[in-house]
Amino acid sequence: MDLFSGLVSGLQISLQPVNLLFCFLGVFIGTLIGVLPGIGPTGTISILLPITFGLSPTTAIIMLAGIYYGAMYGGSTTSILVNIPGEPSSVVTCLDGYQMARQGRAGPALGISALGSFIGGSISLVFTMFLVFPLAQAALKFGPPEYFSLIWLGMTLLIYLAKGSLVKAVVVVLFGLLLSTVGIDPISGAPRFAFRSPTLLDGLGFVPVTMGLFGISEVLTNLEESFDRTIFKSKIKNLLPNLQDWKRSIGPIIRGTFIGYFLGILPGGGAVLASFVSYGVEKRVSKTPEAFGKGAIEGVAGPETANNAGAGGAFIPLFALGIPPNSVMAILLGAFIIYGVAPGPTFITQYPQIFWGVIASMYVGNCLLLLLNLPLIGLWVKLLKVPYRVLMPLILIFCLIGSYSLNNNVGDVIIMIIFGVVGYIMRKFGYEEAPLIMAFILGPMLENAFRQSLIMSDGRLSIFLERPISAVTLIIAALLFISSGFSYYQKVKEKIKE
Amino acid sequence: MKKYDIIPIIFWIGLSLFVMVLSNKLGLGKLHHPGPGFMPFYIGVLLLIISLYLLLRYILKKGDRGETAKKDQSQIDLWKIAIVVASLIAYSLFLERLGFLIATFILVTLLFKTAGMRRWSFTFMSSVLTVLVTYFLFTYLGLNFPKGILHWR
Repeated sequence: MDLFSGLVSGLQISLQPVNLLFCFLGVFIGTLIGVLPGIGPTGTISILLPITFGLSPTTAIIMLAGIYYGAMYGGSTTSILVNIPGEPSSVVTCLDGYQMARQGRAGPALGISALGSFIGGSISLVFTMFLVFPLAQAALKFGPPEYFSLIWLGMTLLIYLAKGSLVKAVVVVLFGLLLSTVGIDPISGAPRFAFRSPTLLDGLGFVPVTMGLFGISEVLTNLEESFDRTIFKSKIKNLLPNLQDWKRSIGPIIRGTFIGYFLGILPGGGAVLASFVSYGVEKRVSKTPEAFGKGAIEGVAGPETANNAGAGGAFIPLFALGIPPNSVMAILLGAFIIYGVAPGPTFITQYPQIFWGVIASMYVGNCLLLLLNLPLIGLWVKLLKVPYRVLMPLILIFCLIGSYSLNNNVGDVIIMIIFGVVGYIMRKFGYEEAPLIMAFILGPMLENAFRQSLIMSDGRLSIFLERPISAVTLIIAALLFISSGFSYYQKVKEKIKE
Repeated sequence: MKKYDIIPIIFWIGLSLFVMVLSNKLGLGKLHHPGPGFMPFYIGVLLLIISLYLLLRYILKKGDRGETAKKDQSQIDLWKIAIVVASLIAYSLFLERLGFLIATFILVTLLFKTAGMRRWSFTFMSSVLTVLVTYFLFTYLGLNFPKGILHWR
């Protein structure tokens, strides 16, 4: 199927009433949780996952994807109006967005972030359409050694791009890999670390684990904080940026799209890193860097564009290779597997209706988001006032029901609660959860690829270096490990923290 | 590094040793035919090396460690967290016996209270509403809830 006819059939699929409805639901929920603190897209998608089992895979993925990119829009609203980022990806938007609001320019700030997001999101879909086919073609030639090396590279990147300490990220990745080995060994059939528990014999379910790590532990962390928010009271007017604003923003938007997209593809990168790097770049290329932090519209336009473009880029490795680059994509991968659809090189040719339906739905979703966010901004501002004591029990109930309904098994609920506590403790000690869930999902793929490669080569480890693609990938991973090339990101992160 | 950072380090060391012993029992296999214990064993080894490194760093940096806790506040928080976690565990243990409606009602009321809702009448109403809305929403979506002691057809 060529690009054009693919896109047309995709649009037909995404405009079917049921898909349109769920696309709307997805972006609506996404904006909602983006605005509300205390629950992010990863938690929400894992909580809502069990509900989607009754839907067709296309419809389900359309909705879940909508939550992901919708949250990027919603997150900026709280950054600008209350100086509290709804999502980590809009942390940097606080710096200049809130200052703009204080100067009475909340309207243009909200406007440029919605329009920038729209532009970034739409262009990134065009990139995806052109990139995903060659990549999937190339991936068809990949055997177990190539997959092993790619996942290895992915994990190296994951560790390098971690927000906090590198050593702690390594520990977390290893912990995640260990957790993924619980259950029946797929090659020999022997039970591992199951301790005669039937629940553990099936392996730790990824849905209860993610719900615990991103839902329950989020609630526990927030129990400590009081949410006294002073919402900016000025009337929001002039949502549409004027010509001057556009002139200043167009460069950041274009750069933000490219930065966001390509960082989105990288494992561990995604929307958060994209927004940080875009802010750093804009400050560097600006003729007036001293204006940043004091309400420069460039500091809103760039990062907000980048986080949405990054959300688009993240779909590439998932669709083309079946390797998720971030925790949301990891959950989507898990969802695909539950629906009985395996993403990978043959995914696009085997399930064109899902691929094109989801891609086209993202165009539709971006349009819906623009409509939802610009005229309805007042509604979202009102929602900011929802007190956390109402929200907290609701999130917990949804987690409990969701995890129970997976298999009508209390064991899953207990696993979720345990991982909620684990996640809370990890946060307290400065360990991140995102690398854990990534390693947990990638673990079985890594192990299978490794063991199959060794069986193929009759026990020679050199197989990973004899095959060119695998060798190059491993060399890149090794160089990354040695070089301090990525310390640039660390510096950027530190600078912004200040 | 803070004082309590030693706790996770000890946990990691313990975990890695535990995993290595168990994986060794599972069978490591040979390089040309790796067994089920192969991968967990070597991950355990890596984890042990890194946590020993963390331990070393912890011991070396012993000097510049400071008390950071604001004690009163953190104790209140820990209580809240303990209550929430305990009630969640109790919920999962009693869910099938009590049935969804009763168990959820009790849990939600408790949670609303813990989260700081003041008036009883308002808490009661909110809980009833939450239970009914979630029940009908999820039943509509095709989920089956345990009925427990409220047996009816």
